[in-house]
Amino acid sequence: MDPDSVSKAFVQHYYHTFDSNRAALVGLYQDGSMLTFEGEKFGGPAAIAGKLGSLPFQQCQHKIDTVDCQPSGPQGGVLVFVSGTITTGPGEHPLKFSQMFHLLPAGGSFYVQNDMFRLNYG
Amino acid sequence: MDPDSVAKAFVEHYYRTFDTNRAALVGLYQEGSMLSFEGEKFHGAAAIATKLTSLPFTKCAHTVVTVDCQPAGPTGGMLVFVSGSLQVDGEHHIKFSQMFHLMPLGPGNFYVHNDMFRLNYG
Repeated sequence: MDPDSVSKAFVQHYYHTFDSNRAALVGLYQDGSMLTFEGEKFGGPAAIAGKLGSLPFQQCQHKIDTVDCQPSGPQGGVLVFVSGTITTGPGEHPLKFSQMFHLLPAGGSFYVQNDMFRLNYG
Repeated sequence: MDPDSVAKAFVEHYYRTFDTNRAALVGLYQEGSMLSFEGEKFHGAAAIATKLTSLPFTKCAHTVVTVDCQPAGPTGGMLVFVSGSLQVDGEHHIKFSQMFHLMPLGPGNFYVHNDMFRLNYG
């Protein structure tokens, strides 16, 4: 699979899951995975899913503006760089965000080795 | 050197060089390096430096707001995720985000293997 197809499929799956069943994101991470969320660091699927599950909103909707990707090197990984907006409930203003993922191959699929998220305040 | 120190030193060096002597950025890239600049892809140090030096402004000042970093996995690389704003030729500040994948060349010595840049229009 080429990096563009991997990143496109991943981005659709990730944000669809985030917006519809956040707890299921745990399956995308492995023991060595890392999340940096607004500067705060989490390691491993349990801690990462704990953080994502505890974000203080019930509903949210991501809208993706740009997706860039590149192969990350000899391990067959893919770097995915996303920008867009997130709306965290009815009547809330959309907030701009950027996020990057490093996907590594495992068992015929990919998992998220690295995940860094930032809101881009206006 | 810990990842945070490497990332901090790299970010300071990269944007200072960009803002004072853009042509010298060529030395940070190698043959296998990749740049995605506003969705356009460039491969190899020469093509990347040509793109960066041909950007249509003479003066540029970056202000870095956030720097996040994580080790990229078993190859010893490092991921650096930056947000900030830039001002070209004295015009309005424009927000940007950028990610770098630094790969080791030797002890304490890194090159930019992956570079993805986006303006965050607001």
